[in-house]
Amino acid sequence: MCFAVETRDLRFSPGKGFEISDLNMHVPSGSVYGFLGPNGAGKTTTIRLLLGLLPPSAGSIAVLGEAMPSRHARVMARTGYVPERPHVYPTLTVTEALELHAAFHERWDQAWAGTLLRDFRLPGGRRVGAMSKGETGKLMMLLALAQRPDLLVLDEPTDGLDPVVRRDVLEALLGYVASCNATVLISSHLVHELERICDWIGLMDRGSLIAELPMEQFRGGIKRLAVIDAGEAKEAPFTVLARRPSAAGGEDWLVRGWSSDMRGYFGSHGATLRSVIDLDLEEGFVELLRSFREVA
Amino acid sequence: MSRWLRMWRALLKTQWTWTRGMLLGAAVLVFAMPLLSVRTAAGVDTEVAFIRMVQRWGVGYAIVAGALGLFVAIAAWSSDHRLKHIYALSLPIARWRYVLMRFLAGAVLLLLPMAALLAGAVVASHNASIPATLRAYPFALTFRFLFAALVAYAIVFAVSAGTERTARYILAMIGLFFVAQLVLISVGSHFDLSGHVADVLFARPGLLSVFSGRWSLIDV
Amino acid sequence: MFERIDSRSPTPLYAQIATRLRVAIAAGELRAGDSLPSVRQLASQLRINPATVVQAYRDLEAERLVCTRHGSGTVVLEVPDERRESDRAAAAQRLVHDMLVDAGRLGISAGELRAAIDHELNGRNT
Repeated sequence: MCFAVETRDLRFSPGKGFEISDLNMHVPSGSVYGFLGPNGAGKTTTIRLLLGLLPPSAGSIAVLGEAMPSRHARVMARTGYVPERPHVYPTLTVTEALELHAAFHERWDQAWAGTLLRDFRLPGGRRVGAMSKGETGKLMMLLALAQRPDLLVLDEPTDGLDPVVRRDVLEALLGYVASCNATVLISSHLVHELERICDWIGLMDRGSLIAELPMEQFRGGIKRLAVIDAGEAKEAPFTVLARRPSAAGGEDWLVRGWSSDMRGYFGSHGATLRSVIDLDLEEGFVELLRSFREVA
Repeated sequence: MSRWLRMWRALLKTQWTWTRGMLLGAAVLVFAMPLLSVRTAAGVDTEVAFIRMVQRWGVGYAIVAGALGLFVAIAAWSSDHRLKHIYALSLPIARWRYVLMRFLAGAVLLLLPMAALLAGAVVASHNASIPATLRAYPFALTFRFLFAALVAYAIVFAVSAGTERTARYILAMIGLFFVAQLVLISVGSHFDLSGHVADVLFARPGLLSVFSGRWSLIDV
Repeated sequence: MFERIDSRSPTPLYAQIATRLRVAIAAGELRAGDSLPSVRQLASQLRINPATVVQAYRDLEAERLVCTRHGSGTVVLEVPDERRESDRAAAAQRLVHDMLVDAGRLGISAGELRAAIDHELNGRNT
């Protein structure tokens, strides 16, 4: 497999917050990689390290096959970046901001930029600093897309945007990904949004990447079992992440590695398995996080 | 080659947008100053008095040159500072190239008020009221103005290009200088700290010596 | 057409899309020669990963319901009537299965369910 982003034993100590240690991240080329994690886990710091905005203390980073931060200029020519906070000069107008960005990016597609301007309904003469949050968000996505990148790094691109703007932004993004096979690294709080668009998931907590796997494995992997008369979970063929008393009587078991032919286990131990429920991404994420924190 | 030029022109355009007001204002001012200086000197009897009248305006050139350098340098970096340099650092260009491009853009913009000064000085040189025994030095004045502006620009640019921490250190050093001066005065010492510093900086061949001395359009 | 696509459902998204299209073809909503939306269009419209759409179309192509030609997109093929009938029957079976699973979870018995079905159908007939 070819990786658009690959880190090895990456380490970084920010002034405040969790130290990033032994980060081994792999973003497959052409994938939409969702970067999940609670606030302060280090997602933005990691993204800044990947793009050469921060110097790592140790370890190696390779983006689009080139070492970072040394090959920074070459990599950024092929990478579109939408940071957490708007990074466009607020005193310029939308048109001027586009002209500036176009001058620095050789693959700039003026025709498409014009189409996106129309679709996003952005006024060309408006000063960037005078625009609403939604308009600024759309502008930043426009700039990142119109430069026709091979990699898109999006740090909470839809955070704080209303649903209409979010829809516009995601439509443009996915349309581009579909036609150009670009890789997308997107970090977001909006887990339900990520669920639809990502095929890989990287979970970060307290400076470490605690899990990195394809989306179906993640979703198919963790299930909630409603068990009655459960005894001890001896020699279970699956991993029990947690057991909690259920409001409906019995217990809720959170398990990993379950498959339907394991039902017999309960019968043989005198317990009854009432139901098997799939967890959506948000629930699975919360449970995984909890189980990791309990262990640590 | 044209790729760098395209990038530089785009940066130049942004800096023009941020400073065109002050540049045009300064241009009008420095165009008028030589003309006014000769106008005010007209009608005095001796040549020495004539020179002295024109020279009175000399301080103005020094101040405008210094101010232009200062504000154009600040304007070059203020937007980047506000954004914590994230946009600039995410551009596909090496940092040193970016800094160099910004520097050259600001330097080129200073040519506008310089050209205005040259125009004004040349026109003033042909004024009939100048005594025949005196000569006008419009080019010398203009180049001195440009040089002074560039020196001020370069110094402030270098300070602004640094991180916030560097700027804070420099301001702290300046603050320390004033504190030291106060301490010396309060203990009754006669050591003239500011005088010595001024000597080092302003007297030839000091760093800022271009600003001191006679700025005169008309001389012998 | 795809309003009910639910990312939280245990059924993978590509399977949901493929099923919806299968039903549409079986019911005649989509006729032979009709073009399916392009991968780019559908992914963008539904705001889902394009690979999901690609997989759904590939599944349908494997079942000879559609044909993807490079440059002209994906087109619905002629489906014989018996095939359409069996597809409809399979879809109906799936609906009933899902309903029974939900009913079981809520503790509704088969008899209660049948009564409810009859009630609903009678209501529709009048």
